[in-house]
Amino acid sequence: MNPLTEQTRASMAEIIHRYPHKRSAIMPILHLAQSVQDEITPEGIAMVAEVLDLTTAEVNAVATFYTMYKRSPVGKHHIGICTNTLCALLGGDAVYDAVSERLGAGHNQTDVDGTFWLERIECQAACTHAPVMTVDWEFMDCQTPASAVEVIDRLARGEMVVSTRGPAIRDFQATEHTLAFPDDGLAGEGGEADAIMLAGLTVANQRGMSAPPATAQGA
Amino acid sequence: MTLAPHQTSVQPVDTVTVSVDGIEVRVPKGMLIIRVAELMGIEIPRFCDHPLLDPVAACRMCLIEIDGQGQPQPACAQTVTDGMVIKTQRTSELAKEAQEGVMEFLLLNHPLDCPVCDKGGECPLQNQAMTVGRPEARFDEKRRTFPKPINVSAQILLDRERCVSCARCTRFADQIAGDPMLELLERGAQQQVGIGPDAPFDSYYSGNTIQICPVGALTSSLYRFRSRPFDLVSTPTACEHCASGCALRTDVRRGVITRRLAWDDPEVNEDWNCDKGRFAFLYTADGRVETPLVREDGRLRVASWPEALDTAAHGLAAARGRAGVLTGGRLTREDAYAYAKFARLALGTNDIDFRNRVSGDEEAQFLASMVAGRRLGPTYSDLDHAPLVLLAGLETEDESPIIFLRLRKAVRSHGLRVQAISAVRTRSLDKLQASWWACQPGNEAWALRQIIDGPQGADALAGLRQPGAVILIGERLAGVPGALSAAAALADATGAKLGWVPRRAGERGALDAGALPGLLPGGRQVTDEGARAQVAAVWGVRSDVLPSRIGRSSSQVIAAIRSDAARADADSEPAVQALLVAGLDVEDSPEAGAFRQALDEVPFLVAVSTHHNEVTERADVVFPSAVVAEKAGGFTDWEGRVRSFGPAIRESSSVADGRILAMVADVMEVPFGTGDVASLRAELDSLTPSTVTRAAAPQVASSAAPTPESGYALLATWRLLLDRGRLQEGEPHLAATARPTEAVMSRATANSLGVANAATVTLSTARGSVTLPLAIGDVADGAVWAPLNSEGCALLGIGATYGSVVRVTGGAR
Repeated sequence: MNPLTEQTRASMAEIIHRYPHKRSAIMPILHLAQSVQDEITPEGIAMVAEVLDLTTAEVNAVATFYTMYKRSPVGKHHIGICTNTLCALLGGDAVYDAVSERLGAGHNQTDVDGTFWLERIECQAACTHAPVMTVDWEFMDCQTPASAVEVIDRLARGEMVVSTRGPAIRDFQATEHTLAFPDDGLAGEGGEADAIMLAGLTVANQRGMSAPPATAQGA
Repeated sequence: MTLAPHQTSVQPVDTVTVSVDGIEVRVPKGMLIIRVAELMGIEIPRFCDHPLLDPVAACRMCLIEIDGQGQPQPACAQTVTDGMVIKTQRTSELAKEAQEGVMEFLLLNHPLDCPVCDKGGECPLQNQAMTVGRPEARFDEKRRTFPKPINVSAQILLDRERCVSCARCTRFADQIAGDPMLELLERGAQQQVGIGPDAPFDSYYSGNTIQICPVGALTSSLYRFRSRPFDLVSTPTACEHCASGCALRTDVRRGVITRRLAWDDPEVNEDWNCDKGRFAFLYTADGRVETPLVREDGRLRVASWPEALDTAAHGLAAARGRAGVLTGGRLTREDAYAYAKFARLALGTNDIDFRNRVSGDEEAQFLASMVAGRRLGPTYSDLDHAPLVLLAGLETEDESPIIFLRLRKAVRSHGLRVQAISAVRTRSLDKLQASWWACQPGNEAWALRQIIDGPQGADALAGLRQPGAVILIGERLAGVPGALSAAAALADATGAKLGWVPRRAGERGALDAGALPGLLPGGRQVTDEGARAQVAAVWGVRSDVLPSRIGRSSSQVIAAIRSDAARADADSEPAVQALLVAGLDVEDSPEAGAFRQALDEVPFLVAVSTHHNEVTERADVVFPSAVVAEKAGGFTDWEGRVRSFGPAIRESSSVADGRILAMVADVMEVPFGTGDVASLRAELDSLTPSTVTRAAAPQVASSAAPTPESGYALLATWRLLLDRGRLQEGEPHLAATARPTEAVMSRATANSLGVANAATVTLSTARGSVTLPLAIGDVADGAVWAPLNSEGCALLGIGATYGSVVRVTGGAR
């Protein structure tokens, strides 16, 4: 595991400066710690508490609430498979089972060599493209058990994998760094909204439908 | 326990009319529904609600119905509005069903271990499950369990499966103590209270969380599995550990104290106390003097009471006019008064001093002028309402922890400004958002004078001139020449109220009782003929019986004994023939070495003591006396408020100091009275407070602290709340929550001393040294802070005290 360094501390200070109150910076700073260490360690909690003038208990409370903060090493890639209602109806559980079998890992577990972390995730607001899988939080839309396993195989072989929405897959820690610094220039990566996403709008336009005008009360 | 906050003046308030269960009432606007119901005698069940904590509506137990709002609402978080129609479980089926549902939900995962749980018998969950719960559970699935218990600190244990997530403990830690080291972790299905990694809940106030936990989730290492509440005999008592004056409840089982709780006193400690007051009581058990002892052929042997009384009486009678009395700061006010009376009547001397610490003439004059025998005040309530409080020579969290809580409450509730003249920016100053005026130890007098007439003092001076401003000073200012004079002058110049905060519980009481060389009870001066006559009248003696010359202080008595012994001429009469010493420890004296030698050298030594110690082992006669828990008595807290209590251990046959002195006086045929607590108290209460002529305030010029040579630093030090004090003995769990023993200095000081890279530093004097881990912190430049009396750091033992110049050398990294 990489140690937290003075460079990490300096990056944390840079994030803190974006907020009127220090403690508001806790979430990106935890992502930053995770980008260095692949998990939230006691050492990470201690540094975050120190730079934010919080107690380690307070930081621990945040780090244990949000599921995106992990308390054991994630490995090279984080694999999330949505099994909420729409994805489940359209085969999400089957995708999950196939990937789980391929990796030999269950929910919130890693495969035997610690390369992949598998997780049943909650709705990603991508029901249009159900069932979805995420790789390091990049979308892999409209998956089947076979396509999902193929993604895993290609990642395992070290081949280039590209999200169905454009961005190239890097690794979990790189994504975590982007979450800490969303202005790293990668935000616009990927394509525009596709036809499925715009289907409703297309129909509305065809039929000349529009939203009712806003009233003075805003109601 | 839930009355509205104390108001010093009656002010009109806006009221609203609401109806609760069909009864119309007019109540102040903005009141919480649950408080309104309480005032009406309607009990709404609750767990998370606590009148001194911010509302959170976490447990949902107090759901009630409000007309016009479809869903049941939490009574603990909703304030009343005009015309509101409220129905509790008594009149609303909706509220009743909602409460039953919540109770059933809370019990889903709650273990059925009431028979082995400490809380069983005094448990809000148990009680309310009986009153508002469904008679039968419908849940027959497997319960959520956790490994049990876990330590959140060495003292506090947590059984997570018992927790109902009311967040009282976490809110207490954050809001009241300012130590947010407890948090709700894993929020969700596994929600539990917890701490940070390797960061135990070492708050000075941690024990309060056990008391306010509405279930048995938090317990103490000390009390866990020790007793059942219904086997305990409870007595309201007062805390003997410091001058904060906490009301306590002491629980005794078969003659043994099992626990102590904070008792509710809205004027003083509210519902809280500190961990020392709660957990440090085991000293009462071990090392006690059990029978009178008399020295024969150089060795102490057990003696009967009549023999010991005879021996003491003869020895003391022979020393009449040439005897000293040292009482220490731990006695009850009645016992201190008994010594003050005994010294004057039986020994014919004013050589009596309660100050077994750094003290001096300036302090004696200050106390005589500003404190002794005066009425109540400033008070906690004054702190509640003050716009500004200036602290000097006082670290509130360590030295008077309830003052800290009250200041923090005022800071949170109405933005009280706290300013501190201190060598160290301590954690408590941060928690009070205080402005820190860095002041080298020994420069306090100069700093206080700066406020009066210094160029930068105008702002502070204006602040202190606001009505209600308070100055609080600690007893260690006695060691800074001119500081008490400056504090008195500052109070005089601004009209601010001045509070003197001694550390020990018995100091203010002993002062009011006249246990000082220049003072009789009630602040009367021994040199004042009229004052002597008043006291003599109460004592039933002619006023010329009372000695009229100002007596000798403890250091003067010690010095006199030493010079008697040094004189080769054995024929001349010694200046001190006998010494009567009460409940003090020699090592607490700043001149412990000379004190020890004086005890060896004085011709006749009588000790009245609860425990064997360095005084009893040198004494000619030793009387066993009762500890606080075994007797009735009272302490006077820093406000001047009398805190009387009865015996907690009623089975004890130990005798209080006052009775022992009466028995000795009886043998000496001195009119003393029976010495029982009631008559001592009645006499003392007739003498204090008083409105007699006071001494003038001292006018000692301030001087600057010495400038240490290269390699030396000024020592800032005080006793941490938890340290190696004698009254904390026997409680390792409490000791394990103490703050670290370390030396703290600023980066600049460390650099100039050449120890910036050292792991440890050694502080040395001509008499010895201590070696401590080094920490860098906010300390006035040129100064080093270290605890006065912690494990491995007994600074008095090397002759170092507040303001001493110590040599600082670095250890290897």
